Formats: sequence, structure tokens, C-alpha cells
Amino acid sequence: MKLSKRTSMLIATGLTGAMALSACGGGSEDEGGGEASGGSGRVVFGESTDFPENLYPNIAAGNATSVANVLIKVLPSAYHIQPDFTVEFNEDLFTGEPTLEEVDGQQVNTYEINPDAVWSDGTPISAADFEFTWRANRSGDPADGGCPAVLSTTGYEQIASVEPGEDDKTVVVTYETPFADWQGNFENLLPAHLMDADDPAAVCETITEGWPIAEGLPEGISGGPWQVSNIDAGQQVIVLTPNPEWWGDGPELEQLIIQNIGNDPTTAVQGLQSGELGVIYPQPQLDLVEQVQALEPNVESEINFGLTFEHLDLNTQDPHLADPLVRQALAYALDRQEIVDQTVGQFSSDAQVLNNRIWLNTQPEYEDTAPEQVKTQNVEEARALLEQAGYTAGPDGFYTHPERGPLNIQIDTTENNPLRQTTIEVMIPQLAEAGINASFNANPDIFAGAESPTSLEGGGFQAALFAWVGNPFITSSQSIYQSPQGDNIQQNYSRIGNPEIDALFAELATEPDRERQAELGNQIDGLLWEQMATIPLYQKPTFVAHQANIEGVQDNPTEAGPLWNSETWTVE
Amino acid sequence: MFFFTIRRLLASVLVLLVSSFLVFALCAASFDPLEKYYTQNPRPPESFFNNLRETLGLNDNFFVRYWNWLSGVVTGDFGETVNGTPVTEQLWPRLMVTGRMIIGAIVIAILLAIIVGVIGAVRQYKASDYTFTFIAYILIALPTFWFAALLKEYVAGGVNDLFGQQLLYTIGEETPGLSLYASGWELWSDRLGHLVLPTISLAALSFAAWSRFQRAAMLDVLGSDYMRLARAKGLTYRRTVLKHGLRNALIPLTTVVALGVGTLFGGAVITETVFVWHGMGEYLLSNGIDQNDINVVLGWLLVSAVFVVVFNLVADLLYAVLDPRIRLS
Repeated sequence: MKLSKRTSMLIATGLTGAMALSACGGGSEDEGGGEASGGSGRVVFGESTDFPENLYPNIAAGNATSVANVLIKVLPSAYHIQPDFTVEFNEDLFTGEPTLEEVDGQQVNTYEINPDAVWSDGTPISAADFEFTWRANRSGDPADGGCPAVLSTTGYEQIASVEPGEDDKTVVVTYETPFADWQGNFENLLPAHLMDADDPAAVCETITEGWPIAEGLPEGISGGPWQVSNIDAGQQVIVLTPNPEWWGDGPELEQLIIQNIGNDPTTAVQGLQSGELGVIYPQPQLDLVEQVQALEPNVESEINFGLTFEHLDLNTQDPHLADPLVRQALAYALDRQEIVDQTVGQFSSDAQVLNNRIWLNTQPEYEDTAPEQVKTQNVEEARALLEQAGYTAGPDGFYTHPERGPLNIQIDTTENNPLRQTTIEVMIPQLAEAGINASFNANPDIFAGAESPTSLEGGGFQAALFAWVGNPFITSSQSIYQSPQGDNIQQNYSRIGNPEIDALFAELATEPDRERQAELGNQIDGLLWEQMATIPLYQKPTFVAHQANIEGVQDNPTEAGPLWNSETWTVE
Repeated sequence: MFFFTIRRLLASVLVLLVSSFLVFALCAASFDPLEKYYTQNPRPPESFFNNLRETLGLNDNFFVRYWNWLSGVVTGDFGETVNGTPVTEQLWPRLMVTGRMIIGAIVIAILLAIIVGVIGAVRQYKASDYTFTFIAYILIALPTFWFAALLKEYVAGGVNDLFGQQLLYTIGEETPGLSLYASGWELWSDRLGHLVLPTISLAALSFAAWSRFQRAAMLDVLGSDYMRLARAKGLTYRRTVLKHGLRNALIPLTTVVALGVGTLFGGAVITETVFVWHGMGEYLLSNGIDQNDINVVLGWLLVSAVFVVVFNLVADLLYAVLDPRIRLS
């Protein structure tokens, strides 16, 4: 009860502050919008990822979760990823669903922009913005008119042209080769009228410099419900206020304040408890979840399963693991249900074993493609496989091979990650039962470059436990499973592949139809089970917690994050 | 004294140079600023990696890189972070943040250390002495982060509950966004509320050790001949202790404090993390070490080293003030 009193005091001060503010700014708020204007209340979001140095999302310096959270309702995107992992077109930006056609063997998408859609400085959002967004992301090669600072050209490099249709509010996008994930393009539409120049070199200069955090967005531009109104880089606070030119519904709040709080769980919990924070989105850990749940009913929280999944990668260049029988034996020896129960199962009874690498449990396309033997622990079969591969059990119970030596497998993982440590600690006795002598190794260099011999890239590991961050656009997994081309392994750290999988990926990358995509993905995953170089474990959970008086907070466990619907939040 | 100062400064520059070289070598060997992009999915094109290596100068020889950095530093340019922001722009505001915390903490810690040390010495083996001793040892034994967390949990919660409103804060330097709509007393009281706990947590830890030094030095002085002489000449006890005793007992404390400033700077790293102050400590940990950023780590090192050197110089000057014999020699 004490707490609620304190919280209500804080809210009261927040409200009076907001009222004072709206009273002062009354004049400018009155015009336009009707019911859209005049939100009330302030919400502080405790951002637990690093404060960005740059807000331009397509260069390395701005490629951060914190930037994505700021921009999600500031720069318009063609499609939004929903909490259930489906993608929906932006109903505020477009008058109808963008269309997909095949014209002369080429993929053509047409977008009809809402006639009301304008940037916050009054300039209409038009085909020129789409065209510029394409050009700004198209290529990393200056000789080709591109810009090397561009982090990713995926999706845009396959576009042949972006042109206005009947008028400036119609956009026609033509692809050179069909592109499966076209809905992922035109995320964070760029304001052409503020950034474009005739000379590609000048554009590249603009891109390379980006939007340094101290300066904010150019002209404070916005094409969404929120506008970045104030940045305090010293205190790491970004204040969002309603965009006065916003043509859609919301925002319901006067201010949405994004404050960086770092990733210390104690800070997040105590900030929530004292009322200094309204919403937090930390990495879930057992203690943290329990502490936050103890704050009920003043605080509400929710656990979901996102698009990131943990898996065990086996290096097929290791003498033992090069043998498919050994890899299979290892997979058979694991009791993945127990691993889930001992780790993420502790947070949520919804946690499940993941049996697919392309589609995750909570995606509609998910199919359990795993062979029966890996669904439960099969110690006997594992031992049989090892013996078939020429291993003999020693007096200590562990297998040895006449040429390859004792079957010792070191499992590498990142440092200071309790969940991963537990995962491996559960695995070790399971593998020991099958005569595999596994050990835990926290490897600080695991994600370092090829020069570092013990990194994934360098290949100096046997087995490694880490996560892949997924998104609903599936072509991104191609670089993980594609056969290595000589030294170029892309992200295929297991260093294995086969032409059949490569061919299916090539087909998948050019297949815009979702149902066929689902089919192809599951077919690929079936083949990956035969390789047994990647053993999927579980989807990683996400955790959102907020003061009970903030209505409308809903987790979006994808890269869209917790602020995906922040324009609908209200404070009681 | 003047030449002494010059000599000290030159020696410090040399130490800075050597330590920066060592740190540079360590970082160059272990840092890979491209690390975070290897597991990005989909992976950036090779041209992106090449461009980044080129801009960060990773293709250059180690000595060339060090020379580039060094020649920049001489002109006040600490280079850019891996994300392309100048380091110099970040160092100053962050030093201000940490400085605010440290200066406050030092002042409080010195005052408390003197008071508690003197009381402990004058009332040796009395109840008050035992109490202070007990408290001091508890504080010395407590890990910084734990003490800070205790303050957040119990002191902040307790005080706020007691007064029925938010007086003490646990996150940041001010309520975020407050300066947008508040001013005057509301803003400053809010900032004060944010400042109290971090300062206390920093001050308490140094104060504990310092008060032990002060107590020992004071006991030493109390038993000396000149104190007896002063008393014999008819001065009151209080006046002898404060005028003659304390002045001499402050000399050892000056040394301890000057050395302690370095520790405090390190201790501030933890306090800043716990109370979410965006100062030097966070800069070293999150922006430097976590991001594999050499320039940030070196910038931090130089600033903190200068800080320590300056405080040691101040201590030397203070000796001269406190002990006239130094001035004579």
C-alpha cells in the first residue's frame, strides 16, 4: 500500500507537469487533428541496451536496438511485424494493401500512399521518399554509385527501379530478380527532401555522417505519431512528443521518455518499484522475473517467446565431429526437454523444445521436422552409433577412437551468461551417460574475427552454444546454412553444406509466396536434421514489465520491440 | 618547490606515455571492433567490413596506429570511437558528471574522517570509539556495489515511505525530461535528491578507511612532547587538540587522500553503474571495453591518470602549507 501511495504521488506530479505543459503549449496544439490532439501523462521507458551514438539506422553506428526503439513510430515503415510474427502493412501510410504482381517475368510491387500522409514539416510523403530510400541502401560500392558505409544492402540491391505511378502518391517497385522478403523493404522510410542530392558522392557523405545523436533527426523530422523533441546525450534521455502533423490516431500521451538504464537487473527492478520507471524491457533472468512478479499488483509483467533461438553448433572440421555418426550420437544423447525445463522453463510453462531452425515454435509456419530419436534421450542408440564409428568405451565410461583419440568435446559459449552456463551444465551429465566427455568453456573471443583462432569465424572450436536473432523475413538464414565457398564461410560456422540445401535456399530467396515459403523452409530444415551440424534448443524469452496504471503496453517479441504500439498507451 | 613541481610533472608525462603504450598494445592485441557484425543476420557485405577496417585504421602497422593516436592526443584530439564520434567531445561532459560525484564524496569523506578520527583518538577505548571502529570496519568490508544496492533498496525506499513522497532517487542525475517543464527549486531539489545516495555510497567507503588513518595519526600526535608542552603553557585541552594536534595529524591524511582519489575514481565506476549516472566509469565499461574501442579506453586512461597526478600535486602543495619545515627546505 505504501508503494501505491508513492506511485500515485509521482503520477500526480507527472500529470500536473503535463497539464502545465499542455496549458503553455495550448496555442499550437489546437489546430488540425480533432480528436488526435492533446494526450496526457508521461511514461518513462527504461532502455536497457546501449545508448546510440547515431540515430541513422542504416549505418553501423546507428544499427542498435535503442535506435530501432526510438524510430519505430517516428520514421514510417511499409510493413510492421506483429506480436504473433505475422507482418501487416502500415494502414496509416497506405490506402490499401500493397500489391504483388508478375509483369514480364519481373516482380512488381505497387504501394498507394495515403493522400493525408505528410512529414512533420508539411512536405507530403511521396514516391520520391521511396525512391531515395532505395538509392540510399542499394549498394556498398562507390564505383556503382553506392556507399560503403551502408550496413546492409539486402533487399534493395535486387530492385531495378522505384518510380511514381499515376501520381506521386503511387509507388511502383520493380525487382530485377524476384525477392521473397519484399515486405521487409522500405522499413524506416527516409525523408528525401532533407537528404537527397543529385551527386551520389554527396548522398554517401550524408549517409556516412548519419544523424549524430547530439543533433537528433534532421529538422526533427517525423512521419509517424511520435517526434523526437529533445535529446540529452549527457544523461542519455530521449524525449518523444506527439507529431503535430500526424494524420492517424494517437498518441495518447503527452511525452514518452526513453531513458537508458543499462542492463543491470537490480536497477530495472528498483526503478520500477520506486516508480521512477514506467516500462522496462530487460533480458529475462530468473531472479529478475521473480523480483518483478513480487511487485504485483502495482506492476504487471509478461513473458513471451521471441524470434531469437539458442542452438548448439558443431564444427565439422573437428576430427570427431567430422563424422556424421558422432554428431548424430551427440544429438541422440541430449535430453532437450530437460534442458528447456532447467533453463527457460523456469520462467514460463509455455517454453518448448525447438525442433526447427527456419521457423520457430510460435510461428504459424512451424512444423516439427525432427527425427524421432532426438525427441527423447536415446543413450543406447547413441552408444551404438559411436561403436559403429569405431569408438570403444574405456574403463572410465568414456569412448576413445584408435586414431582420433578420446572423445572429449569442449562446448564454448559467451562469458557471463548464467542461462547458457546452466544449459551446458545440464548437457554435460547427459552426454556423459552416452560416453561423451563434454566440458564447459566460457570463450571471450567467441564472436571475434577470423584472426582470432578460437572464434566461431576462426573455426578453433568443437561445439558452441549461442543464439541466432531471427526475423520473419526468412532469407536471412541463407548465410548460416549455405555451403562454404572456399574460405568464405559467411556465417556457416559448422562449415558444412550440400548442393540440395543450397538449391532450396536459392528458390526460397526468390519465392514471394508465403505458403510456398513455409513449405520450402520446412523442407530445408528436414535436410538440416540429416546434417546434424546445428542442434536447435529453444526460443529465447522476452520480458516486459510496466506500472499497472499504464494501459496498452503489449510485448512484441520480435525486433519491433515493446514500443511498437506506444502511440496507444495511456496513463490512468 | 617550483623545480620539484616541474620534475614531478615531467615524470608524470613519462608515466602516462609508457602506460598508454602498454594499454594500446594490450587493446590492439585483444580488441576486435568488428566483432558485433560477424553474427549479424543477414551479415553485412564484405565491402562494409573492408571500409570499416580502412576507416578505423586496422590495416595499419601497430606502431603507425600508435603514432597516429599519439600525434592526435598532443593536439587534444583523442580520435574517434568505432562508431565515428569524437572521443574528446564525450570525455569532458562525462568527467564533469563523475567529478561532481567524486568532489562531493571527497569533501564529505574528509570532513567525516577528521571528525570521527579525532573523536576516536580523543575518546580512545570509550563507547563512542568502539562504535565508530565497528562502523568503519563494516564499511571497509562491504563491497561497493552491494553497499550501493542496499542504499537503493532500504534507504531510498525508507525515506520516501517516511515522507510519503519521492525525495531520494536511484536512477540518473535528474528525473528524465524534467528540465523540459520544470525550473527553479523543483528542478534543483530533484537533482539534489538524485545526488544524495551516490555521493553517500562513494563517501562512506573512503571515509571508513580514512578515519582509521586519522585516528592513528591523532593518537600519535596526542602522545607527543609538544602537546604536553602546549598544555603545560596553560592552553586549554580543546585548543591544544585542535590547534596543535589536528594540524600535525592532517599531514598523513593528506597523503592517504591523494592516493585514495585514484581508488575513488575506480570506485565511481561501480557507483555510476549502480545509480545509472552516465560518467567516466560507464564510458570505460560500456563504450570502451564492451565495444572493443581502443580510443575510448585510452582516453579514459589519460583523463583518470591526469586526475590522479593533479591530486598528488595538490597534496604536495598542501604539505607545504601544513608543515612549514617543507617550505624552508
